[in-house]
Amino acid sequence: MPQNTTLNINGKDQAVSVEPDSMLIYALRNNLGLHGPRFGCGLGECGACTVVIDGEAIRSCITPVSTIGTSKITTLEGLGTVDNPHPLQKAFIQEQAAQCGYCINGMIMAAKALLDHTPHPSRDDIKEALDGNLCRCGTHMRIVRAIERAASQAE
Amino acid sequence: MKQNESGIGGAQLNRRGFLQASGGLVVAFSLFNATEIAVAEPAAGRSVASPPAGKLYAWLAVHPDNTATLFTGKVETGNGVLTALAQIAAEELDLPIDRLDVVMGTTSQTVDQGPSYGSMTVRYAGPQIRQAAAAGRQVLIDLAAKHFGVSSNQLVAREGTITILGSSDRSITYGKLVDGKRLDVDIGASGERFAMKVAPEARTKDPSTYTVVGKSVKRKDIPGKVTGEFTYVQDVKVDGMLHGRVVRPYGVESRLLSVDENGLKDIPGFVQVVRRENFLGVVAETEWGAIQAAEKLGSTLNPSGPDDGQAKWSNWNGLSPMDQIWDTLRQTAGINRSVASTGSVDIALASQSGGQVLKATYKTPFQMHGSIGPSCAIADVKSDRATLWSGTQMPHETRGDIAKILGIPLDDVELRWFEASGGYGRNGLDHSVADAAIMSQEVGRPVRVQWMRWDEHGWEPKGPPIVQDLLGIVDKDGNAIAWRHHMWVPTITDTHLIAPALIGKPDVTGITGTGATPVIRYVYTFDNTDVAVHDEGRVGLLTAWLRSPAQFETTFAMESFIDEMAVAAGQDPLAFRLAHIDDPRAIAVLKAAAEKYGWVSRPAGGKKLQGAGKPVQGRGIAWVNRDDVRVATIADVTVDPASGQIKVGRVVVAHDCGLVVNPDGLRNQVEGNVIQSLSRTLHEEVTFDRAHVTSRDWEGYPILRFSDIPDSIDVVLVNNTPQYPSYGAGEPATNPTAAVISNAVFDAVGVRLRQTPFRPERVKAAMG
Repeated sequence: MPQNTTLNINGKDQAVSVEPDSMLIYALRNNLGLHGPRFGCGLGECGACTVVIDGEAIRSCITPVSTIGTSKITTLEGLGTVDNPHPLQKAFIQEQAAQCGYCINGMIMAAKALLDHTPHPSRDDIKEALDGNLCRCGTHMRIVRAIERAASQAE
Repeated sequence: MKQNESGIGGAQLNRRGFLQASGGLVVAFSLFNATEIAVAEPAAGRSVASPPAGKLYAWLAVHPDNTATLFTGKVETGNGVLTALAQIAAEELDLPIDRLDVVMGTTSQTVDQGPSYGSMTVRYAGPQIRQAAAAGRQVLIDLAAKHFGVSSNQLVAREGTITILGSSDRSITYGKLVDGKRLDVDIGASGERFAMKVAPEARTKDPSTYTVVGKSVKRKDIPGKVTGEFTYVQDVKVDGMLHGRVVRPYGVESRLLSVDENGLKDIPGFVQVVRRENFLGVVAETEWGAIQAAEKLGSTLNPSGPDDGQAKWSNWNGLSPMDQIWDTLRQTAGINRSVASTGSVDIALASQSGGQVLKATYKTPFQMHGSIGPSCAIADVKSDRATLWSGTQMPHETRGDIAKILGIPLDDVELRWFEASGGYGRNGLDHSVADAAIMSQEVGRPVRVQWMRWDEHGWEPKGPPIVQDLLGIVDKDGNAIAWRHHMWVPTITDTHLIAPALIGKPDVTGITGTGATPVIRYVYTFDNTDVAVHDEGRVGLLTAWLRSPAQFETTFAMESFIDEMAVAAGQDPLAFRLAHIDDPRAIAVLKAAAEKYGWVSRPAGGKKLQGAGKPVQGRGIAWVNRDDVRVATIADVTVDPASGQIKVGRVVVAHDCGLVVNPDGLRNQVEGNVIQSLSRTLHEEVTFDRAHVTSRDWEGYPILRFSDIPDSIDVVLVNNTPQYPSYGAGEPATNPTAAVISNAVFDAVGVRLRQTPFRPERVKAAMG
């Protein structure tokens, strides 16, 4: 049965009532209205649902709510907005690094985790960090360039 | 162009009121900031019919804040057409593009301009919108003339403001002129969909004066998409909405024998099972509840058999064995059609002596659209009307299909369009609308259906497998004298929906094949030619259009076999092509690609392997004429003989789609086409057993990853001048890729790959 749980999301504690064994993505999307994380496969294979939990890129579609505890969750919404985008989001806009855009949440969140660990990654580092994220439109070249651009502007 | 008696009158509405009145939506319809979706019940008796194409308000609204909205029946599928169409309209309207929003697809607000497929949106809807916007500009000028009491030719429109020439202090904005009224002006329209002519008398600008068309305007949708503020169809919430999941048959044509509902009521939020004939679904208050319930009934990644879940299916094993699919399709009923016939290949065969007769068979498998987001739709079906929310590429057609399935008059059905994950053709989106409609009709509440990954992989319509036999003759002097290309192509236009078939009404909507879709453009000038297609048959799985339908595959065979001919003739593959083409635009793209690449003439390949296991480089070239667009592609590959792995290095594409509306948007499309088609060339094959598709997730249907991307993709634009119309660029650059890679592999290691995908084990096997 649903239980009241507190999740720390984008710097704020948020109460949700969900079944403990349900996956985090449904709490984020349906209970909290956070649409950055996207349902792609439900199997942890494509990366569209990626969020950052305690600094690591995590697949929210296979992460039960009961396993989160007090961990800090960051979603795409926690980075920036259209009016005030995060440097990564800005770089994706500058490089026009999206087509349908459905996978882009995962690309940006995986890149966020990468750049937090490795502020100046090589092109191979970027490709390796994103190798588990699928893009069907074929925007890969621009995605790599956007992450390189964001990294080059980092302190 | 005359104004109605009501002028541009009617109730004074602000922008929000306008949208409410016209669409019943309480939606902040900003492209940059689509936020809260709260959907009001349609007002009782409110018409949800599409607006008349001959009225200006069907295309354009001008708001008091001096912004405007363009309405189009075309939809965005990730190609950037929203921005391209906005550029065309903003250009003619003399309105800054950031003041122009675009409403797409919603059937009560837009004119049916035909589906958004086949690279035909900018090509056909572009001129319609250009004319409507030009008519709009003229109406605004006329209003200003009346306002100032001067003649129209004393006025100039710029950036949303009309000024009296020579008196810069006397000006008025579009917003003030229109004053919140509906643009109830007759602009005239005739014909339908792609062939529709809109506002034929409106005077459009001279293309040489364009300031918005031809610029790399940043796409309007991208900021919302990279921040999570964008609203995809998967994000739409409707008051009182339930969550549904489908439970598909185990075998493609299995019958539903029984459903054991034991334990379903223990699932929190579970509402009910929906069962009609072989259609099975579940609905629940929560998405998680629906997923749990569907799983109990048998909706899982790898069901072990037709009675694995609590729903029991008949044992159906009617699919062809996978390795025999190409033999099966040769025997499939269909239509024989001659594409090109000159001279006589048979006489050439009988009379030639001392030359070389080449024969080859090319095979390509079922492939899938593979949208990253699974299909999703919401339906709210009442006894006498229905509202649908969908990301379909053909909203007006799907509205009609659902009306037929439900038995509700068309004028009482509305489809509200929101973008979905990229589709690349006819995927599961339309099918999910039918699923949602049937479930909503059954439960009497709005139902949101989202397919699980295995529903999408297993049941989306596939691109068909194709087999092609080729024969060529090179005479003893090295001249190519004959060419035969026979192809067996199952239908790429089956629009039957899954759900109606499952409820026992398979033919209430949909057609199988129209015979109208060209699957090849034969372009060479050999003396003796026999090119023929056997197509429009059905082969086991539902098949429909997949990016550059069938021409990706036929170009693979044609452009690889041309290379085989060039090798037999001992000629450079570029020179050989140029010697047998007389199309100037084809010659132009081939030369442009070669120049950019730095092509040095030499016969292709068959290089001896230098030392065991050492990777070898090769280059390949191929081109296509896809629906009047010419594309030539050259790529470098490195083949690792030890592993059989192909690594793509530099790619050069020369692209002629006529006048380019947005150069960076076009480059984005070309890059996307190259990478997606590389994925299809190197990795993709739908697997199946005798009962169903077994490629049910990304493990079972691997696609290209970042580790496989080329080193670079250079794009050269050819004939980007107003001398040519804008032909459309959504898919042509897909076509040459498989041939380019096959040709490059031959150049590298001397083996000819004639069956996709070129996975390492296949490449290694070919090398012996």
